[in-house]
Amino acid sequence: MAIDINEGNLKHGVLGLVMALVEVIRDALKIQALKRIDSGILNEEECERLGKALMDLDLALESIKEEQGIAESVRAVRDGLDDIVDTVIDRIVNPERWQEEINVRS
Amino acid sequence: MSTSRGRYIYGVASTGCAVSLGGMGIDGSEVYTIPYDSLCAIVHNCSTEPYQSTDEERVKKWVRTHQGVLDEAKKALGTVIPLGFDTILQSKDEVISPDQVVKDWLKGDHARFQTVMERIKGRDEYGVQIFYDPRVIAKQISEENQEIRKIREEMAAKSPGMAYLYKQKVERAVKAEIEKLAGEWFRDFYRRIKDHCDDIVVEKTKKADRNRVMLLNISCLVVRQKVNNLGEELEKTNNTEGFSVHFSGPWPPYSFVAQPTIATPDVKVESNAT
Repeated sequence: MAIDINEGNLKHGVLGLVMALVEVIRDALKIQALKRIDSGILNEEECERLGKALMDLDLALESIKEEQGIAESVRAVRDGLDDIVDTVIDRIVNPERWQEEINVRS
Repeated sequence: MSTSRGRYIYGVASTGCAVSLGGMGIDGSEVYTIPYDSLCAIVHNCSTEPYQSTDEERVKKWVRTHQGVLDEAKKALGTVIPLGFDTILQSKDEVISPDQVVKDWLKGDHARFQTVMERIKGRDEYGVQIFYDPRVIAKQISEENQEIRKIREEMAAKSPGMAYLYKQKVERAVKAEIEKLAGEWFRDFYRRIKDHCDDIVVEKTKKADRNRVMLLNISCLVVRQKVNNLGEELEKTNNTEGFSVHFSGPWPPYSFVAQPTIATPDVKVESNAT
């Protein structure tokens, strides 16, 4: 993934990248939170606090994206990451890709 | 090096005549045919340098001209095997003329050209892309799916924080359901389209925009008289709520002709096919 940085889009580029990473961490947190809740080890009040915290986090991230006008660059970084993950998984689960890789290298 | 040592090849037609198609080629070059036996190559004289430019508009114009020549050639000469943009044959030494190189190439691959010609005769390529709108589909699923409805009902009675977590749960469940259904839709659409095509090449799906997810991206080889049937079938899909179809063509059957192989080792093909 090439990140095109010049003075004009430096802010968008870096902020977009940082925000995209924060979103990825947030998504991981959400998955963990839902697991905790389903497991039943949290009481009602703890669940409520967790939900509230995630909601506040989401609202904060959305408003930062809007204020800075970086929603598009965040999306672009995340799409780029998605593509990389897609390619890697495709390589791992499809043995025919291994042969292609060997052919390309030889 | 002379400026006309190369032959830019647009395609191969199934006629053995030498004809001129006029100055319709790239940058106004004279397009003509070099025959060998029952085949001919549609060419113009060029240098051995491939057509390259950083000016996107210029490249687009070249590609459109390439396309235009193939359309005209089809009208004038019948079935044409299209080659990719920037396919240039050249001779490596002064002994063999570039025309001879083209003839040798037609000769060496004669049998394969005949087979491909039979396969694409009277047929055109069409591009079909089917999209779904994740908002519409998500709404349908969250109303119809029992399990998701249950989570939504429980959600109504929860405090704000909990309700937010339930909302995440619903979103995840809907997403998983869409992924499951997408596989079924793909198989269903593919089967229905297959009935109207001689051959299908499945292309990679591309990212559309946030309100349109590309479910299926295929190239179809269709008998000219049967294309209306395919159009009607796709119209049905296009009228289904949450789905839209992009249907394009007729194109030269690029996806159904393998790349040209090289007949003789002293011939070099420059190909920058896009």
